[in-house]
Amino acid sequence: MTPLTAIWMKDFFALRNLRHLLQRESVFKVTFILLFATGMMGGFFAMFLSGFRFLSEMGGGGFMITHRLFALFFLGLGGMLLMSNVITSYSTIFKSRETLFLLTAPLDTRTLITYKFIESSLLSSWAFFFLMVPYTAAYAWHAHLGIFFPVWTFLFATPFVLLCGAIGTLISLVAVRWFPRNWIFWGLITGLALASTIYGIVQIRPVANESASFILNRFLPGLQLASHPLMPNSWVAEGIMALTSSQWTRGLLLWLVLMANTAVLMLLVQWLGERTFYNAYQRVVGASDFRRRSAELLSSLDQSLVFLPHDIRGMVMKDIRSFLRDPMQWSQALIFFGLLAIYFSSFRSFHYNEMPDLWRNLIVFLNIFSVSSVICSLAARFVYPQLSLEGHSFWILGLAPTGMRRILLTKFFLAALAMVTVSAGLMGLAAWMLQAGWALTTLSVGLAIAVSLAAAALATGLGAIFIDLKQPNPVAIISGFGGTMNLVFTLGFMLSVILPFGLIWHGHVTYGFSGTSFHHANLYATLWVVILSTATIIMPLWLGIRSLKHREY
Amino acid sequence: MITIKNLNKHFGTVQAVKDLSLSIPAGELFCFLGPNGAGKTTTIKMLTGLLRPDSGTIKIGEFDIQTQSVEAKRIMGYIPDMPFLYEKLTPVEFLKFIAGLYNITRPDLNDHIEASLRQFGMQDARNALIGELSHGMRQRLLYIGTFIHNPKVILIDEPLIGLDPHSIRMIKDLLRVKVRDGMTILLTTHILALAQDIADRIGIISGGNLIALGTLRELQAQSGTHDTLEDIFLKLTRL
Repeated sequence: MTPLTAIWMKDFFALRNLRHLLQRESVFKVTFILLFATGMMGGFFAMFLSGFRFLSEMGGGGFMITHRLFALFFLGLGGMLLMSNVITSYSTIFKSRETLFLLTAPLDTRTLITYKFIESSLLSSWAFFFLMVPYTAAYAWHAHLGIFFPVWTFLFATPFVLLCGAIGTLISLVAVRWFPRNWIFWGLITGLALASTIYGIVQIRPVANESASFILNRFLPGLQLASHPLMPNSWVAEGIMALTSSQWTRGLLLWLVLMANTAVLMLLVQWLGERTFYNAYQRVVGASDFRRRSAELLSSLDQSLVFLPHDIRGMVMKDIRSFLRDPMQWSQALIFFGLLAIYFSSFRSFHYNEMPDLWRNLIVFLNIFSVSSVICSLAARFVYPQLSLEGHSFWILGLAPTGMRRILLTKFFLAALAMVTVSAGLMGLAAWMLQAGWALTTLSVGLAIAVSLAAAALATGLGAIFIDLKQPNPVAIISGFGGTMNLVFTLGFMLSVILPFGLIWHGHVTYGFSGTSFHHANLYATLWVVILSTATIIMPLWLGIRSLKHREY
Repeated sequence: MITIKNLNKHFGTVQAVKDLSLSIPAGELFCFLGPNGAGKTTTIKMLTGLLRPDSGTIKIGEFDIQTQSVEAKRIMGYIPDMPFLYEKLTPVEFLKFIAGLYNITRPDLNDHIEASLRQFGMQDARNALIGELSHGMRQRLLYIGTFIHNPKVILIDEPLIGLDPHSIRMIKDLLRVKVRDGMTILLTTHILALAQDIADRIGIISGGNLIALGTLRELQAQSGTHDTLEDIFLKLTRL
């Protein structure tokens, strides 16, 4: 048996045991998670289907968008996969305890890198398939495509996942091996350069003309890039459509192009990994020891918080320092919000502000959805597990002359403050760039604040109720029952507060719903948001405090 | 069996190991002692190839750990102070995995695994998940896994952390038997009584320097007293 076969066998055993572990879990818990996953996929399917129907009703332009949307969808997912792979490959190759274990076994570097690359690609791809399945299903349903459409989709999607994974792993290997140690400075420089490049690409346009293609590219960012014949996502989109319409030669050609590029990139991962991994790993383990840190980090902030009671100030400073010293945490938040900020900033470049009220209204509500979704995912990723991650040091907080109530409320206010600042800022920016009126601006900022406060309260409260001090892995904490419940409730809240306003304002700009009825509808919706937000903030926090007080440690 | 020549390792401005040279022959149990941060774990990590020395060479048997790492690791076993185990595997599956990693093709592998589990009192836990085992059981499993490819050299970082007296006795007896059979063992520990009890030779490292080396009698002679190992250690490593 080769070492690589032994590793695959080990993974097979672990997967088989997972089935047994699931059988031991509570039926309610498993059913809840399964229902949630199915509901999410069903929801995505319905959303995509109604989107396709909406575009069909638009006529000519709509048909053109629908056709190109396939390539744009894979461009978006490909970008997401790539970014996710950069982070995942760094943690699976360089930071995982398994790597340390395998390094002491008689395993050559090529085998280790090959295994870790495939592991990282698989770990990063679940969200890709989770989104791709409902999207392609909705498209197939809408366009009445044949039963082989899913087969062709998976035939192209699998090498596409590996291709994006290979690029992500290569970036990670190169960055860890050669990126300067003064990485905060160089990281900022690279980030700025990347942002400028994206902005530059967005600004490039063909010579103005009256063609429908030009007009489409002007309003849909990335459409031109997505359809470029040298982009792998266009091979995927074109290839699937070619095979579906029985253009076998073209479909096979595009599949072979994709396969050949994927194979070359995978070979490059092996080649580069073999040559750089050990040196890169030495940089990682060498840099982690004896690093001198400024004892006065954030001292000015510490001094400016003197008005707070000493215990709360201590907890706040501890949480801020821990967060800032873990780049894996804040870099994800920075990427999410950075991309949204770049997108919102480019609205005027795409002349979105000159669009009719119907479209601007639609874009405002889509922006509220996107910012709220990011807030929900960040609350689930960072706020929910923060109490559990106190781990064995929880006894320091538990034995301190402070109460569980103060501990929990401090964590809530800190999370809420950070999320409100970012979400309100982003919504303000989006509304300003769109030149939305004061009412729509106030509404979008208000909804972002409500979602941020509720998401912070739900994540903090449920994080306390389902606290798991023995689990050091944040991913395991998040993917548990409590984490899933938190995500369900947060998304439920988000939909409950945004949809009423969405309907009212859609009626206002489409069907001329205005006057006293319009004002009353807005008033009732505001009242609903205030009541629901208050309940969603108070209830989980109260239950969380009660749970912490009555728990045995 | 273990040959270290002029080993140096820096972390930033701190020199963790300074010009360390040491030779440990086959069939010897060598104890590496030192205060916290003295350079013991860094040395062991360099011996396993996890850390690269800034200068100096390490040979395990006739293999250089830097240039012939796969060959060196094939005859070596390592038990870290905080070991990694696959929580979702059973002990039997874990041992088969280790056997696969070391390409052990003996026909009686399954019988050997069963016998080892019996020897370590783990037969009842053979099909439980490792994540459900107690710390003592996990340590025992780690020892079975390390010995499964019959290594010539074993490196152990803090072998007795969190073990009950029964397990401690079992590990001590096992190490003695293995050394008698010709295995070379290098272990680090803070339990000086353990070193005094089982070590053939003792090395004391402080601030990255090897400050004493020899049998207990030789160390006593060096210090000019008949003190216990604890007294000698405290005297030599006084800050």
